[in-house]
Amino acid sequence: MRRIAIAPRPDWTEQVERLGFAFHTIDGETYWDESAAFAFTLEEIERDIEAPSEAIEQLCFAFIEKALASEETLTRLAIPAAHWDYIRDSWQRGERNLYGRLDLAYDGRGPAKLLEYNADTPTALFESSVVQWDWLEQGMARGVLPRGADQFNSLHERLIAAFQGLRQPSPYRLHLTCVEGSAEDKGTVDYLMDCAVQAGLDVRFSFIEEIGLLTDGRFCDGANQPIETLFKLYPWEWMFREQYGPALAGSRCQFVEPPWKALLSNKGLLACLWEMEPGHPNLLPAFFEGDPRCATLAARHVRKPLYSREGANVTLLERGKVLDSDDGPYGAEGHVLQDAALNLFSEDGKYAVLGSWLVASQPCGLCLREDASPITKNTSRFLPHFIEP
Amino acid sequence: MKRSTQIGLAAAGVLMVATVWSLTGEDAEENLVYNSLSDCRAGGQLSAQQCETAFSEAAAARLKDAPKYRNQSECEAQYGANGCSTANIGGAQFFIPALAGFMLARGLSGAQAQPLLPPTTAACPPGSQQPECQQARSSSSSSSSGGGGGSGSSRSRAYSTTNGRGLTAAFAGGARSASVATTSTSSRGGFGSFARSFSSSSSS
Repeated sequence: MRRIAIAPRPDWTEQVERLGFAFHTIDGETYWDESAAFAFTLEEIERDIEAPSEAIEQLCFAFIEKALASEETLTRLAIPAAHWDYIRDSWQRGERNLYGRLDLAYDGRGPAKLLEYNADTPTALFESSVVQWDWLEQGMARGVLPRGADQFNSLHERLIAAFQGLRQPSPYRLHLTCVEGSAEDKGTVDYLMDCAVQAGLDVRFSFIEEIGLLTDGRFCDGANQPIETLFKLYPWEWMFREQYGPALAGSRCQFVEPPWKALLSNKGLLACLWEMEPGHPNLLPAFFEGDPRCATLAARHVRKPLYSREGANVTLLERGKVLDSDDGPYGAEGHVLQDAALNLFSEDGKYAVLGSWLVASQPCGLCLREDASPITKNTSRFLPHFIEP
Repeated sequence: MKRSTQIGLAAAGVLMVATVWSLTGEDAEENLVYNSLSDCRAGGQLSAQQCETAFSEAAAARLKDAPKYRNQSECEAQYGANGCSTANIGGAQFFIPALAGFMLARGLSGAQAQPLLPPTTAACPPGSQQPECQQARSSSSSSSSGGGGGSGSSRSRAYSTTNGRGLTAAFAGGARSASVATTSTSSRGGFGSFARSFSSSSSS
């Protein structure tokens, strides 16, 4: 794994905008950053990223089985008790999942370590699937990247195939939703809509604020169409607690991601996995805050709220002293403490986190985000990668 | 290959096909797009027999799948002047977009060759200065050279597919690749309150 400085395409904004990539610059700051790229060997990709991602996903499935049978675990994960049966039903019915992103610490040395699992509402998808793919093709055609280079990225074709398999019979009608006012979220959903159309589905979009409830208990879109299958880029922990939360179980709606993903997108997962498999090469020691075993953690460790997104309210501590933190609204439901990863990629004051993509639980893609601090925040930049020929 | 072999985006109107770089011979990239049968033969990557098979597959698919018009002006409104030709289908005379080229989407074997049509006037309006449009409009025949294009030169040409998508084939350094390119509502608004109260993102 190497970080290589590469001259950006002189017309890179035109090139990425031609693909419909609207959020390459966020609040005046570069988000899509092709002034450098990460180069991997095929062995690093397959042995150190792909295989461990598959192993972690299998471990997560084993964890769900255990957690759904344990009121203690569900309580520690701060899942509202009113929704336990709803989540159990979705798992027992075998409701399929679409995608997720494992965030990993890896610098080319030693096993990748799981930092967290964005199992419910991951973004950075379009730029991973399409924009960096096109960057590679153009880089090879222009002679800037070695011919015969490749990329760990079959996201596009996997997403189309996964949409076809989410529900039977297929094709079916799929609604998609996200909040109003976020270019990044809307861009992600627009891309998924495009994939769903290519999967042959009948696709509709409504903002989440427009969703209504019919007298027969079903949800409906802004045009009062009943919703049977809903892709929602909106977190389960919020849906459980909002006005329509009690209507979920009776809505006869298949949600994507399914309700059982709420157990995985929770930082409590990190402590639960470590308890199941202490010493697992791809896990970092982690415990719920207040657990006496927290005393066994390394002096340098990280405090994470159970529910937190984009690094919000995450604190990096060294012997109790705060080294880095990010403000935010999270933390009321509790925290986990996790050893700081020793193999987080860093170079010249920049830190990179790997995002290993799973589609229908199959590892099939990689993205890298870089920040000026060890906590990857919403200010991070996206850098492309390639596999050396 | 660990990446997608092709990416189509309906919203952006692009279909992009991964370049297959042959590492066996020096500079022996496999051509994926040809403008004519003679182009294919001259390219040297496929046997004459393979070229003929690909060409006839594409020609047959064009007759079957390309949009059909009753008169020339309707067709040319979509595909530009000289972008159409007549075809006799089931005993009736139609105007259909010309066969501007053909594409082998997955390298040398496997998938059927697809027909490529002239770019639509929506993608390449008359008088467009875009290089790929000029190339498409100027070379309605097979003047674009085959696999041995000059190294360092970079040209691209616009096409469309039978389902109306735009596609740009890049001819760069000798490589040719299609880079592409009855109930009532009782309430509303019961989701989204957390997003309103949190300034933070709902996604990660």
